Amino acid sequence: MTEDGPKQVTFKVQRYDPEQGNSPHWQEFTVPSSRGMTVLDGLLYIKENLDSTLVFRTSCRMGICGSCGMLINNYPHLACHTQIEEFHSNTLTVKSLPNMSIIKDLVADLIPMFNVHKSIKPYIIREDAGEVKNPTAEFTQLPQELDTFLQFTYCIKCGICVSACPTSASDKLFLGPQAMAQCYRYCADSRDDGQPERFSVVSTDHGVWRCHLAGACSEACPKGLDPALAIQLLKRQLVSQALGLRKKQPPPSVVSPPTETKPKIPFPEFTVKSSK
Amino acid sequence: MWRTRLHLLHMLTGVLIASLLGIHLVILHLDAILGFFGVAATEPTSWQSMITRASQGIWAGLYIALLAFVLYHALYGLRGVILEVTTSAKTERIITWSFIIVGIIAFIWGAYVPVALLSS
Repeated sequence: MTEDGPKQVTFKVQRYDPEQGNSPHWQEFTVPSSRGMTVLDGLLYIKENLDSTLVFRTSCRMGICGSCGMLINNYPHLACHTQIEEFHSNTLTVKSLPNMSIIKDLVADLIPMFNVHKSIKPYIIREDAGEVKNPTAEFTQLPQELDTFLQFTYCIKCGICVSACPTSASDKLFLGPQAMAQCYRYCADSRDDGQPERFSVVSTDHGVWRCHLAGACSEACPKGLDPALAIQLLKRQLVSQALGLRKKQPPPSVVSPPTETKPKIPFPEFTVKSSK
Repeated sequence: MWRTRLHLLHMLTGVLIASLLGIHLVILHLDAILGFFGVAATEPTSWQSMITRASQGIWAGLYIALLAFVLYHALYGLRGVILEVTTSAKTERIITWSFIIVGIIAFIWGAYVPVALLSS
């Protein structure tokens, strides 16, 4: 066996089926691992070759869909975004994300997180509802205005920040870093007028002021977002609002969409000719 | 929005406690250093000195303010810790009102002495 050849890795996977009524238990599988293999590849190997009853959630395999969040060696990761080699160990423990109930095996229940996400109204709210319903033009936004919230638009709602958050572990009603970061994302948007509606949701006993700024969410986020920063900036907005220091931003100007567009770049010639 | 104001007040009382408690500690325990700067304080921890201070309006006001700030800061903080492990809205209301009542009773009890000394 060469250094890059397959080696045997033991996957210690937590199994749990609430419908069976048994308590969570561990099951071990031996998986041949090679360089570049991800934890998700290992789980797919188990499902296809060793135990087809193993349940886990997966879709894109490239860190975009946010489906395969799970606790790997006691830290939340995306299974598709985590290579087995990273752990320098022949044993991996894999279990469902903490701070969430388990649907089955490695599938955490993300519905409560999505419900909280919906409660902060994650969409542009405007006072001129007529323009939103029947748009006549486009709202302008400067690049520097976009920069104030751009990183938070990359959230894939995988739930890893919520599972890493120590406050979410102790306070079951805590809104969580995901929803509050998204709240900031929309409140900071220069096109949005929905701050009062969202502030009433997050300025509660289980909202922004419950965050202890542990920073675990930012540390764990697989997309490199900084939800802890968003919560701090949201706190700043709330304090400014409470003290009456918040300046009312002028509404973004509307500009008509361009009537002329640049000529399209022609499609390149095929480099491989069809055999037909 | 009033929860934001309550939390702001919590932070503000923290700063005020540090300032007032600093004055209190300097006067009571650093009299040798105060003497070096020409501020005479003879036995500031004695009973008579304490009664004399509490009989003066500025000191009575300082002690009553310190008591109010400490009670608010401590009880609001403790309420936050307890609410973190509470999932029932009814229990939260009971805890909040219990803390308000305890705070008012403690404030009246603590403020009684300087107010009585001032009015005597």
